[in-house]
Amino acid sequence: MSEQTAAPGRPGAVRMIFEYEGDTIRLVSTQRVDVAVTGFDLPAETATPPGHYVQLRSADGVSLAQVAVRNGPTASAEVFPETAGEPIVRTDLERPRGAFTVVVPAAAGARQIAVVEVAHLPSTEGLAPQAGVATTSTDLATFDLDATEDGAS
Amino acid sequence: MTTADGTVQGTTQIFGSQPRNRAFNVVLLAEGFTAAEQPAFDTQAAAFVTAFVATAPFDELRSVINVFRVNVTSTDSGADDPAAAGGTGATARTYFDATFGGNGIRRLLLANATTALQVAAAQVPEFTVVLVVVNSTVYGGSGGSIGTYSLAGGATEIAIHEMGHTAFGLADEYPYYAGGAETGHDHHPAGEPSQPNVTLDTARATLKWGWAVRATTALPTQSNGSCAQVDSSASPVPAGTVGTFEGAHYYHCGAYRPEFDCKMRNLSVPFCAVCRAVIWNRLGPLATLTARDRTPITVVARFPEHLDVFAVGSDGRTVTDWWDRSTGWSGWSQLSGGVASPGGAGSPVTAVHRHAGHLDVFTVGTDNRIWSAWWDRSGGWSGWFRVGSLLARPGSTVTVVSRYDDQLDLFTTASDGRIMSTWWTAGGGWAQDWFHVSGGYAANGSTVTAVARYPHHLDVFAVGTDNRVWSTWWDERWGWAGWFQVGGQLARPDSAVTVVARHPDQLDLFTTAPNGAIVSTWWNSRGGWGTWFQVSGGVAAPGSPVTAIVRYTNHMDLFVIGTDNRVYSTWWHDTTGWAGWFTVSGGVGKAGGQVAAITRTAEHIDLFTVGTDAKVWSTWWDGSTGWAGWFQVAVS
Repeated sequence: MSEQTAAPGRPGAVRMIFEYEGDTIRLVSTQRVDVAVTGFDLPAETATPPGHYVQLRSADGVSLAQVAVRNGPTASAEVFPETAGEPIVRTDLERPRGAFTVVVPAAAGARQIAVVEVAHLPSTEGLAPQAGVATTSTDLATFDLDATEDGAS
Repeated sequence: MTTADGTVQGTTQIFGSQPRNRAFNVVLLAEGFTAAEQPAFDTQAAAFVTAFVATAPFDELRSVINVFRVNVTSTDSGADDPAAAGGTGATARTYFDATFGGNGIRRLLLANATTALQVAAAQVPEFTVVLVVVNSTVYGGSGGSIGTYSLAGGATEIAIHEMGHTAFGLADEYPYYAGGAETGHDHHPAGEPSQPNVTLDTARATLKWGWAVRATTALPTQSNGSCAQVDSSASPVPAGTVGTFEGAHYYHCGAYRPEFDCKMRNLSVPFCAVCRAVIWNRLGPLATLTARDRTPITVVARFPEHLDVFAVGSDGRTVTDWWDRSTGWSGWSQLSGGVASPGGAGSPVTAVHRHAGHLDVFTVGTDNRIWSAWWDRSGGWSGWFRVGSLLARPGSTVTVVSRYDDQLDLFTTASDGRIMSTWWTAGGGWAQDWFHVSGGYAANGSTVTAVARYPHHLDVFAVGTDNRVWSTWWDERWGWAGWFQVGGQLARPDSAVTVVARHPDQLDLFTTAPNGAIVSTWWNSRGGWGTWFQVSGGVAAPGSPVTAIVRYTNHMDLFVIGTDNRVYSTWWHDTTGWAGWFTVSGGVGKAGGQVAAITRTAEHIDLFTVGTDAKVWSTWWDGSTGWAGWFQVAVS
């Protein structure tokens, strides 16, 4: 191209850091960041596979944006072998605690942040793998966005 | 032992030059290094970079990787090493409170993740991954939202394995939880894992990494004969074979991994092909695409606030990028591992949406066979599969028409120039194989085009071996007609005949004459075929097809690369006729390239073309604001 202008306005994004201990999740910080959120990080249009997600919601609870949490609350840790060829193993943690972060596309009108766990429904037992899409969604924690340090909307 | 036990000195970028907002940003935090020991941390950080960017596929993705070193001083050197876990009993006052002996296991090295994330966010707000480098030669590390590793030999392998989880959502592929002697891990529970590199599915048609499996590879590729224990037998196939190997995701049976071995199963081995592809599709979208110069771009609007764009990279990779009003551009990612035929202008990826939640895409592969894949809103992308046995002309275009939701008709040229077709229906699946359409042959380089004016009618066009414009039609009641010349017009041998149906009883055709003149004719049910005429004196660059879109039944817009390689447009309106050609926002494309156009709403046009820099560029026109400037299509 012989001429170039700026791309259309970037939607913007928000980094959130959460801390957890046991079943308690605390929002530590929100921070407006100039980071491209690629398609890799965005969920499929309808199907949400099992895992942890952070959602931005409107005042009436409608999900406006959602990203997967790659390393959400966990009750185990990986232990690595010192000698090549020995197995990597996992160990259950006596007291699960830690932190995680996500970058969510900024969504106009967002008023609430939710940490959501999507899990297979027990009724999927025995179904063929491709049929095992029945899931249940549980809010692990919700936060009022207006009460956080800097808003995301 | 808190942040009072040290200070953050500052940040130094030690690798990469990609803008931070479009980069994979790795942050290394110093832990347990005193002020005097900071040079040792600098050395360790440099060593990490050397190991990291030498690891496939990061070695090929260096252009989008930045690495930052955050120098943090601690009061004491090292980390806690509790005696209860077999350590020395040493304690150290350090900034991130690192300690060996997590859960009573000495080599489980933990640090305060909240502090690490906060420091990284303050120093490099755009960070992707945080690694805490602990100043101890005791072997140790751990994963999670941050990775920790010590200075013991080989500990950087921990960091790279942990990136597989943190940055790419990869699952552990090892087939046990606690080394294999545990109970309760014989069979994986029901429910397909969401991670891309483990599955419960061994069906070739639905396997999520089916695109990477050769037809000759057995599925399952390796089964565990005794689920009470981990299968310790050797691989039955050569290293690098992608298939389904039983034993993964912490279970001896019922879950499968893509290759016999992978860095997500064992340290010190390469990532498997599937994990490498996942990493590619995480980092690749951060880069701008270098496209094949003349390969057409395809754009589809499944609904007005969304675009799906398909292109081919300079290396032949079939790629896609999508735009949504709510999230912007997603970035270019490879479409199910596909590689398109390089012949002629290069085979494009063509696409159609039969409904808003479904896409079907087609290309000619490097084997010159016809390949297809689909995307569905509920399941994402399928793998590529072969459509029939046809051997196509290298670089051919597969033209696809959906006459209604449950029907696809495909057209292309065989290696000997025969014009071929096949079809798919929801009820009957794919036809047995391709058939020769009424004995027609296409000139070398000519694309077969088609339009459905009615759900039961097709009109097909091509430039014949005599370089004349030919047509045929199919009607549900009478089948295929014979080919006939459309007005005797001579065309450039590699021309396409672009056709639009403004309404069911009207066709408008556009092509280029041997001297490059952009010519048009029309057909309607009242008057039959018109005569060919040059459109407003326009001349196309050699090889550049004319693109036409219909915004209203009485309005058409044309786009082409002109002889000066600028992007030109004109329009026709029933009351004013053809306008003069004008350049679109000063844009310059590749000689012989194509301009892809789409109208998401009647008062909006989106254009795409490959620029002189081989990047994909776009602009738009809106009825209220006119033409925008051109911008590179990348992640936004």
